[in-house]
Amino acid sequence: MTSFSWTIDGSIIGLYLLLTMAAGVWLRKRVRRVEDFLVAGREMNLHLGIASLAATEFGVITCMYAAQGGYTQGFAGALPGICQALAMFAVGISGFCVNRLRDSGVMTLPELFEKRFGRFVRWLSGVVIVMGGLLNMGVFLKIGGQFLCMVTGLDLGHLVLIMTLLLIMVAVYTILGGMLSVLVTDFLQFVVMSLGLLVVTVMILSQVGWGRLVETVETHHGAGGFAPWANPDTGWSFIVFQMLMGVAATLTWQTVVSRLLAAKDARTGRRVFTRTSFFFVCRWMIPGLWGIAALAVIGWKPLEFLSSDERAALPAAIVQKVEASELGKPFAALSATELVAVPPAVQSKLNDAALNTMPKFLSTFLPVGLMGLLIAAMLAADMSTDASYMLSWGSVIYNDILAPFRRSAWPHARAIRWNRCIIALISVYLFTFGLLYEIQGNVWAYLALTGSIYLSSMSVLLIACCYWQRANNWGALAAIVCGAVVPVLHLSFEKIPSLAPMVASITKEQAGIAAFVAAALGMIVGSLLKPRPQSA
Amino acid sequence: MNSDSHWLWHALIWGVVLWYSTITIWVAIRGARDIRDMVKRLDEEPPPPPES
Repeated sequence: MTSFSWTIDGSIIGLYLLLTMAAGVWLRKRVRRVEDFLVAGREMNLHLGIASLAATEFGVITCMYAAQGGYTQGFAGALPGICQALAMFAVGISGFCVNRLRDSGVMTLPELFEKRFGRFVRWLSGVVIVMGGLLNMGVFLKIGGQFLCMVTGLDLGHLVLIMTLLLIMVAVYTILGGMLSVLVTDFLQFVVMSLGLLVVTVMILSQVGWGRLVETVETHHGAGGFAPWANPDTGWSFIVFQMLMGVAATLTWQTVVSRLLAAKDARTGRRVFTRTSFFFVCRWMIPGLWGIAALAVIGWKPLEFLSSDERAALPAAIVQKVEASELGKPFAALSATELVAVPPAVQSKLNDAALNTMPKFLSTFLPVGLMGLLIAAMLAADMSTDASYMLSWGSVIYNDILAPFRRSAWPHARAIRWNRCIIALISVYLFTFGLLYEIQGNVWAYLALTGSIYLSSMSVLLIACCYWQRANNWGALAAIVCGAVVPVLHLSFEKIPSLAPMVASITKEQAGIAAFVAAALGMIVGSLLKPRPQSA
Repeated sequence: MNSDSHWLWHALIWGVVLWYSTITIWVAIRGARDIRDMVKRLDEEPPPPPES
């Protein structure tokens, strides 16, 4: 039974939504140029930049996968955040690549690549960025909806309604005000989100207690719950992949890059990076702690996510095996024949049990009032992330993929209209993909792998573009193709039953590392193979 | 090794709470000022020339 009260918690949420929508719509009349819509007229200052980057990079999806990390891997699950923080701080301090990127005056990464590698590389980079980005964000809406259903005690049958409402609210202010609205709503959302995250964390530390949290990790994960290298689920390939991802995401993740490009100048952009870097530790540690608390209080009970009818329909042998299964792996002990006997809808619920235990825990742990604050915080987190992601990937579609279809610069009004249409189409895609696609296994592993479709090649292209004289379009094309092929094949093959066992023997982390290596080799070999132009 | 790790994670979680509380207050105050300045600058900019 959830402690959500429609009167008190509902009023807090309603007030938050009203303020956000008003702020988002307030700025629409100031969008006069396409630069205002896409990069806020490059007027973003330091503190607004920190709020916006932090709010964008923390969504309900972040909270869910980081909590899943804490739940299934203990404290060691926070490692990706530590890697990303170190990478962002190092890039911000050194200005590695980002100085040249911001000083170039471009609006997207592919626009920079055109200057060095030509128009086709710009177009192809745009396609790869959008493909990786949209696959990545395709699951955001559904997981956000799942969280809200769980904490409010609504049946998952209301998921479509929750997804629709969330999407309409975000799409309205993003379509009307573009980056200007996104920055201002991000600011409000950052404040509300931070308040909620901090209050819940302090409550968990004081009520569940540090001793009990440590004891839970020791019992379920042993030494591997504290040291990533000693954890069989993480290990060295996980650590290496997270380091690569941390650097690549800082340099090329479209939502991060768009903050750098919206900054007043390169110095402001770098300061946003250095001062936001520690937030990436927070964004993993805080939900990770919530996940550990859920394990301490609820434990591993996957069957509790099934209705009594669904449980009764399962053969007794399967029920026993699932009940006794290893944490986070409900089907590990089932044979192929037994697995076929489990209906797909039940498989889906059991598969998501590790993900949904944290919201289930919060639904009963928080008192009335704080529940409203938590939901407002999570709505804030989700809306800021969805809005920024829609805008960021929409900007690449407009600026780079559609570039060949514009013989001359479009008038501002027409350009803004097109951007608005693209964002509306992305909203429709988000809704459809979220309903149709089912993630296999760990959510973060899926996000990291889909991200690596373009992070691997784009980071190699950016570094080569900035620092390697010999880099050319042959190398760039080879890097894009090689970097995308490995993760796309991995994701496709795991959905083909005959190939799934073979794919399962290669972890998503190993496939991700292979994508980076393939992209780098592609760039080096391709660039060296192209004959140097003959000087007159 | 484990007791060292516990200490490290304990320090890190409290570091997170302290840093995050500070940055939230700081950004809440200064960010509002940034928004005001940004809107002011945008309002002062001349509108783009009419296009055919």
